[in-house]
Amino acid sequence: MDEIVAEYIRRTVLKIPRDEIKTMLQKWDFLSEAELEHINFHQIKENIAQEVVQLCEENSTGIKQAAVLDIIYNHSYPNKRMWSVYQMKKTGEETEFFDLTDFKKKFRRQLQSALKNVTVNFKVYEDNAIWIRIAWGTPYKKPNQYKTSYVVYHSQTPYVFVSVSILKSNLPLLLQALIVASDYHDIHEMELRSHSLNSLKDIVFKRYSQQLTKFTFSSFSLHSHLLLPAVDLRIVEENRSEKERIQRLNSEAFGDGPQPKLEFAQYKLETMFKSDPDMDVLDKKEPFRCLVKFSSPHLLESLKSLAPAGMADAPLSPLLTCIPQKARNYFKIREKKSLPPGSFLSP
Amino acid sequence: HLELLEAQAYEAAVKQEEEEQREEKLAGLKARVQKLRLQRDELQAKVDLQQNGQLGKESIASELAQPSAQDVLEWKIRSIKGILQIFYLTGISAKLTRRGVCFSISTAYEGTYLDSYHLDLVINQEVQIYRHSVPTFIPLQQIAKKYLQTDIRRFFSVLSDHLNAYVGRRYQADQLQEHFSDQIEGMLQRNSLCNLLVFNYTPSQSQTFPFHARLLYGDPCCSLPTEAVVSCRSDAPASLAETAAAHSDLFHRLPLHKAFRSFSTTGGSRI
Repeated sequence: MDEIVAEYIRRTVLKIPRDEIKTMLQKWDFLSEAELEHINFHQIKENIAQEVVQLCEENSTGIKQAAVLDIIYNHSYPNKRMWSVYQMKKTGEETEFFDLTDFKKKFRRQLQSALKNVTVNFKVYEDNAIWIRIAWGTPYKKPNQYKTSYVVYHSQTPYVFVSVSILKSNLPLLLQALIVASDYHDIHEMELRSHSLNSLKDIVFKRYSQQLTKFTFSSFSLHSHLLLPAVDLRIVEENRSEKERIQRLNSEAFGDGPQPKLEFAQYKLETMFKSDPDMDVLDKKEPFRCLVKFSSPHLLESLKSLAPAGMADAPLSPLLTCIPQKARNYFKIREKKSLPPGSFLSP
Repeated sequence: HLELLEAQAYEAAVKQEEEEQREEKLAGLKARVQKLRLQRDELQAKVDLQQNGQLGKESIASELAQPSAQDVLEWKIRSIKGILQIFYLTGISAKLTRRGVCFSISTAYEGTYLDSYHLDLVINQEVQIYRHSVPTFIPLQQIAKKYLQTDIRRFFSVLSDHLNAYVGRRYQADQLQEHFSDQIEGMLQRNSLCNLLVFNYTPSQSQTFPFHARLLYGDPCCSLPTEAVVSCRSDAPASLAETAAAHSDLFHRLPLHKAFRSFSTTGGSRI
């Protein structure tokens, strides 16, 4: 077995938390159950990795199988990468008949014709997610297995999720291969980025529970009920109606389900500074450029809790609440000559 | 022996009673359908009258004054209310909201209820889809462009057809993968819309998978394939060609999992 492959497998196994190693090797389905039984998964990870490499040696593992193990690892821990979303466009309106074999062939061929030294591997999951792993080389060097890009694509949708490695120069090649293989004619990057791949999918595929009118029960009465936990009857809520109003507005803006997980929202402002005319802070009447960035481990949930916590007035600015619906967390806000790009009035 | 006959007679009587009850129920439902159809026609006539009446008013008054936005809105809401009643039985239900209507399309396939999809419509100058839970691979924008402004009923009818066909195809593929996984080589090759399925299979319990099937569902509103190409692997005996043709015909006619079920009952393969 190639030394590079052996080292690569060793390092991949070391990345996996010890308790998960056995499960992941089972998902890999390359080593037999009998072989897996031989490994002692209670020893330190370095030793486990050594044993795995040993078994792989006996099975003469190639780079292809090692790549699949890497895909499985990234599929289990997608949040370790930063994902961007790209949107593809096509001209025709006919129904697409996506053929996986065809797609894989075209994609690989397109990449390999432009760059000979590239490793491409695919793995399809049950939710129709196609995971593509690309290891980049140069015209003179073999692919570097540690500099990989990942693409996740659901067939017959215009959205592609990409986690690019440091080599941004290979990006145009990757995007070109995608549109050729999927039969679209154009691709552009959306203003949407996050570590949470599933949340990005939730946003563009509209899988999060939006504020859609409920059909089963009256939402407002349920909320009033929720605002009355079993408390001492001697305590009177002075601001009950205000609390209910806030709750209702919040529910209308965010829906009642869990929010997609984003880590930040960035607003680039190019608006005029509005100050008291007497104060006249700026001499020139120029747009004041500034960047506002909201960061949080879970931005949308924290925005949702602002009004109920009393830290902001309800209703919240539509610039904040429109994030999942507009599928973007990067905004450019200019003067209101025409409708600003961050406006929420257009559905 | 007498007891046995008694028991049989009793069973037969019970069955007959059940049958009679069922027929009664069926007749009752048929009558109801008739009644509803009449109602629908009446309402349709009313709507057409109003529509014509409204247009008439508009063409006369356009020189003098525009019909108020309020009137147009009210008329739109009235017509939608009428549509709501008509659609209830077809799995499409709706509820008025502050800004318009929220529709819910419930899908089903062969008696099994599957997913529900929602659309929140806002009615201003034109009807707009504010929010929805329709999957990205369903051509919602195309259908909306064609029918949403001009014929809402048709819009929902077409959309419902697309959704029901999609869940029907998906259901068949899931059933195949769940119940006949040992008769399929590896995993079924499918896509998001489940409109192209490719797989190698065997109709009976065997180690080899002599048949290769490629099912294309050309009609997005249909849950049966428009093309079912079944071929034999190159090393398969020539006698199987006939079976392949028979299977192709079967796939055209029956849902996928039912076709596979019929393999085992007819014992159709001579492998």
